[in-house]
Amino acid sequence: MWTFIVRQLLYSIVIIIGVLTVTFCLLYIIPGDPARMMLGQRADVSSVEAVRDELGLNKPIYIQYVKFMTNAFQGDLGRSYATNRDVVKTILEKLPATSLLAFSALLISSILGVLIGIISSVKKYTFTDNAAMIFALFGISFPSFAFGLIMALVFGHLLKWFPISGYINEGAIYLVLPMLTLALRPLAITARITRSSMLDVMNQDYVRTAKSKGLSSYQVIFKHTLRNALNPVVTTISASLAATLGGVFFIEYIFNWPGIGLLAIDAIFKLDFPMIQGTVLFSAIVFVVINFFVDIIYAVLDPKVKLS
Amino acid sequence: MQPETAIVADEILIDDKSHNLWYYSWKRLKRNRLAMVGMWILIILAFIALLAPFIAPFHPNQQILEYSAKESGFEGQVLVKNPGEMDNEENKFIPIKSFEKEQDGKLIYTDYEDKIDTVSAADFEKQGSGWIKNIKYYLGTDRFGRDVLSRLIYGSRVSLAVGLISESIAIFIGLVLGALAGYFRGKTDMFIMWVVNVIFAFPAILLIIALSVVLGKGLWQAFVAIGLTGWVDIARIVRGQFFSLRETEYVEATKAIGYKSPRIIARHILPNCMGPVIVTGTVGLATAIIFEASLSFLGLGVQPPTASWGQMIFDGYKYIVVGTNWGLAVYPSLAIMITVFAVNLLGDGLRDAFDPKLKR
Repeated sequence: MWTFIVRQLLYSIVIIIGVLTVTFCLLYIIPGDPARMMLGQRADVSSVEAVRDELGLNKPIYIQYVKFMTNAFQGDLGRSYATNRDVVKTILEKLPATSLLAFSALLISSILGVLIGIISSVKKYTFTDNAAMIFALFGISFPSFAFGLIMALVFGHLLKWFPISGYINEGAIYLVLPMLTLALRPLAITARITRSSMLDVMNQDYVRTAKSKGLSSYQVIFKHTLRNALNPVVTTISASLAATLGGVFFIEYIFNWPGIGLLAIDAIFKLDFPMIQGTVLFSAIVFVVINFFVDIIYAVLDPKVKLS
Repeated sequence: MQPETAIVADEILIDDKSHNLWYYSWKRLKRNRLAMVGMWILIILAFIALLAPFIAPFHPNQQILEYSAKESGFEGQVLVKNPGEMDNEENKFIPIKSFEKEQDGKLIYTDYEDKIDTVSAADFEKQGSGWIKNIKYYLGTDRFGRDVLSRLIYGSRVSLAVGLISESIAIFIGLVLGALAGYFRGKTDMFIMWVVNVIFAFPAILLIIALSVVLGKGLWQAFVAIGLTGWVDIARIVRGQFFSLRETEYVEATKAIGYKSPRIIARHILPNCMGPVIVTGTVGLATAIIFEASLSFLGLGVQPPTASWGQMIFDGYKYIVVGTNWGLAVYPSLAIMITVFAVNLLGDGLRDAFDPKLKR
């Protein structure tokens, strides 16, 4: 088991190096002069040159690359053009807000998604099943920002049940709308995959054996079917994580939730490249880390995985 | 979603000729009513996109600032410049408050700036009574007085174009790289899979936004940005298919005959991968449409004044915050949702149709 874990760890580090490289390349080919962007358009040539020297922008690309990588591994991603504050520090400050939102959305979407998937598979082909699956298809067809807008409109303006802008400093109710909006897509994905994997397992012979033995449906589902059906569901955690990480940006923007997503979108609007770089990097690294743990869970559930 | 394998098996048995995978898959697909609904919605959408200039009541960029942000069903009276020519050009209309016809055949009108102007008798006689028109905006107007319905119709072109072209780019790159990785394995495979995993680690939307910032704003830049992130799914599928198909007997036979690798890859293995590729490509098309809308929502991608559904949502977003004219954001949202929903229905149906082990 340990060789597997170490192997996964090394591979994850290799991926992170790749992620850092891609981020570096992206920023290197962006048009515009970073020094000029920092100082503003009216700065004179000599101070722009001085800043360029300071940032090492005149050195050849491989030296810049090495400098970038060494800085990154020490946790230094530069300073924001807009606020001149340390990028890493700003991101870590906003982390709790985003974590709260993402975690609560993932929790709801996973629990509800698995439940809906199980109910659908047990009552397959009935109205409940068809309705649930059509609802799930709606869920993955709605762009997150459009859904967020409609939720804000219906629940915020028309019904006035929930506030649509702001943070939970003023009350836990501010979490409701953004969390529900963010949870829709992962919920739909999880429900569909759970249903299909439950159906696959339920057609197996050992399940028919259990039923013919006279076990109650409850016992059949939870003791025999679910554990084996759980395998692809663990994979969907990876998929719903991707959906959550992707959706969090627009949701935070629409509901004015002060997290990393809002930080990223603001940075994009202001062309604040170190911050864009930092947020993109952060999201990718979070994804790689979580997948690392998901792979280990996978190996625990299905030992054959360790051989691949 | 009824079990259908039994029916198809009988068909195959009583068939005189043997058909290929595509024929049977198509028959299975036709039986799936939801998938057919999806397909017909898309066909209708394609027609709307192609025939946009003929069915849109107005030119999508026709601005009448005096009529800005009006509700659905708003009616106005305009003076038509050069009536008799095609109705949907820009700058054809001048909104007027009132008009009078003089006895000597001249037409006097008062526009919204309380300027009184005339149309000369000669011109008036030439064109007849087409000068004054009562127009109706079925879905209202946006901030610049442009007709929402026409913009929705023209916006379908952008969305469908993005879906098709971006996904084609993604499929092309994915096929090539997936085939190379799956056929040659070893170091080629390791390197390509490393690239795939690196790109997969980024949240797609961020990568697309970053690429758009690098490449600049515009329609073609959006195509490339979305295509460059979408190929990873296709590459994985193709690689998986190659792994299993590579070991089959008929591939061994081609090697024994002495065919070279490129020929084996292109003519013998690739065509058998196309089933899952089509399914993944269809889903990818749906996500490409959503990504384009997201890009436009942020002001990247398609630039104004070109109508794009994402951009209409961006414009209308401010109205939702205020609480009026919410149609401006809701109608394009519905349009996107219906389109993507139809594509997903079709994609689900395709997946079920291509799967010979169908059990549900």
